[in-house]
Amino acid sequence: MPRVFDEWKALPLDEVLGLCRDTLEEADFGPVTRWREAGGKIVGHFQVYFPHEIVHAAGLLPLKVRGAPVEPTHADSRFGSYLCSILKTSLELVLSDTIELDMFVTHPICDAARNLAAVWGRNFQYPCQILYLPQNANSKHTAQYLRDEYDRLLEEVEEIAGRKVTPEDLSRSVALYNRDRALMRELYEIKRETPWLVSAEDAYSLVGIGGMIPVEEHIELMESVLPQLRARTAKAEDRIRVVFEGAFCEQPPLDLIRMVGRSCYVVDDDFMIGLRYIIEDIPAGDDPLMDLAEAYLERSSYSPVQHDNRKPKERMLVERIGGARAEAVVLAAAKMCEPGLEEQVAYVQELEKRGTPYFVNEFEENMTSFSSLELQVETFVENLLFT
Amino acid sequence: MTITAGVDIGSTYTKAVLFDGDEILAKAIRPTGFLLTEIARTVFEECLATAEVDADDVAYTIATGIGRHQCDFKDLAATDLTANGRGANFLFPGTRTVLDIGGQTMKAIRVDERGKVKSFRLNDKCAAGTGAFLEKTARYMGYSTEEIGPLMTTSRESVPISGVCAVFAESEVINHLSIGTPPCDIMQGAIESLTGRSVQLMKRAKAEPEFTLVGGILRFDTMAQAVRDRLQKEVNVPEGDLCQYTAALGASILAQQRAALAATGGTARGVGVRVAAP
Repeated sequence: MPRVFDEWKALPLDEVLGLCRDTLEEADFGPVTRWREAGGKIVGHFQVYFPHEIVHAAGLLPLKVRGAPVEPTHADSRFGSYLCSILKTSLELVLSDTIELDMFVTHPICDAARNLAAVWGRNFQYPCQILYLPQNANSKHTAQYLRDEYDRLLEEVEEIAGRKVTPEDLSRSVALYNRDRALMRELYEIKRETPWLVSAEDAYSLVGIGGMIPVEEHIELMESVLPQLRARTAKAEDRIRVVFEGAFCEQPPLDLIRMVGRSCYVVDDDFMIGLRYIIEDIPAGDDPLMDLAEAYLERSSYSPVQHDNRKPKERMLVERIGGARAEAVVLAAAKMCEPGLEEQVAYVQELEKRGTPYFVNEFEENMTSFSSLELQVETFVENLLFT
Repeated sequence: MTITAGVDIGSTYTKAVLFDGDEILAKAIRPTGFLLTEIARTVFEECLATAEVDADDVAYTIATGIGRHQCDFKDLAATDLTANGRGANFLFPGTRTVLDIGGQTMKAIRVDERGKVKSFRLNDKCAAGTGAFLEKTARYMGYSTEEIGPLMTTSRESVPISGVCAVFAESEVINHLSIGTPPCDIMQGAIESLTGRSVQLMKRAKAEPEFTLVGGILRFDTMAQAVRDRLQKEVNVPEGDLCQYTAALGASILAQQRAALAATGGTARGVGVRVAAP
């Protein structure tokens, strides 16, 4: 398996974090290119929920397709102007040859994402398909349905890889991803308990880089960085603790995260939730595909595009707030994002009912001006801080 | 007695104030330059030396101004809107509108009876309505910032200077100089141009009396007088150089609030004691 992200190894912590930020923000996808140049194959998967283990077990690189801060000069002609930005910039990355895939998978998380595979497929010869996640998570047949769906995906992946994937291969991958997710949970524990030790943007970058490098390398990176973060001696500031909600699919620009993180401590969020949606270790069983399916149903984080009657989104948000001991919420939604904007109504009603302060804003991955928004966030925070 | 600090890292000057809840113990000012973290520490340490107290005696520090996030010893950052509101309220409790003419920005801030910000308006992204505009105008004519005040007192008849753009204004200044217009009249014209923009900004903010003017440029009486004339209303101006320290003072007052809260366990510096409803 080729190594694609080794540059951080000789660097001090601040430079490692800077490198992760730059790698994530710069739209050249260097590690992905290096994987490709070394002969590796790549399966691109659109936000949000994807069983990375299936692709990894076949020796391929699962690449989180989550848009990029680029102008969709080619992709604009494939979509209506009323659609969200992440669709266009994701397709732009392949139309502009920035990244080259061997397979693309999307999910019916919204009408636009469901149609993405068809639009994508008209431009490329490789398989482009939809992974049909269950619309009803509460039927007794759901786990089996999802297991079969994962099996169907596995067969396609095996064809790309040119080899069969054994249950042992899958179990190995599950164990590796368990380790990686545990490290990400540890990072979030640092955010919650000592938020002055890691900025919102650095935590975001550390997680985000995991979507473009092999899981083994991400584990190494996290195992090196986390103890160094804990050993930091940064001064704890008297800031409001907030939950940032609304980044489950399109991601806010790093500058927006940086801006919010300068005024408050972002102690929990749904940034890149697709990389850490399994919230507990997946137990090792005889049927790893069934284990993965059950984990999606029983051990996964909520989002506006997961349909589970046991998880009303507003109640899950309240749990997130309570778990992080947050004092306020930044409710964001990507422009033109129907699921995100729809859920805001329920969130706002619940927060109003509970008297939890909140700040609502819309974002777009390509926005570049933040000064006005920063002033609004700061004024919101100061109204909470000072009587 | 609780000692708190306010550090205002402005675009042109960095100011610090030590406050004990009743009065200012020390204040210091330096040109900001390019090393914001260092200059913040320098003015803070100058205050400590003047007041003969240790850094550990300072219960709480709030940084404000454009460079507030660069202050590495702060407990909290606050916008200069909030800080100026509280500072103006302390100096003139009847204040309901603050006009802050800073080096790079101009702000009209409406406040309530406690000095809390109700609404605000900022100038456009343009130097034409700021202290930098006057400084540049003076510099074109070979005068320093400190000479602006004395220069304006000799003016007999101001000449019109564009209030729209500081870049256009430069060529206007050159034109006026080339036809022999006295520099004092050009300077007065620039002041009136700036005053016109500031009054427009206050109208947009739906300003209501009492008006308090703050910012380094208010050291020159002619500036305040020009605003009075344009508004046809009385305005408050902090005495002496306090007009430059209003935001730092306000930050130190806000710091008293947070220090009192911290002392009673109302806050725990980021560990979130004030928990949202479960």
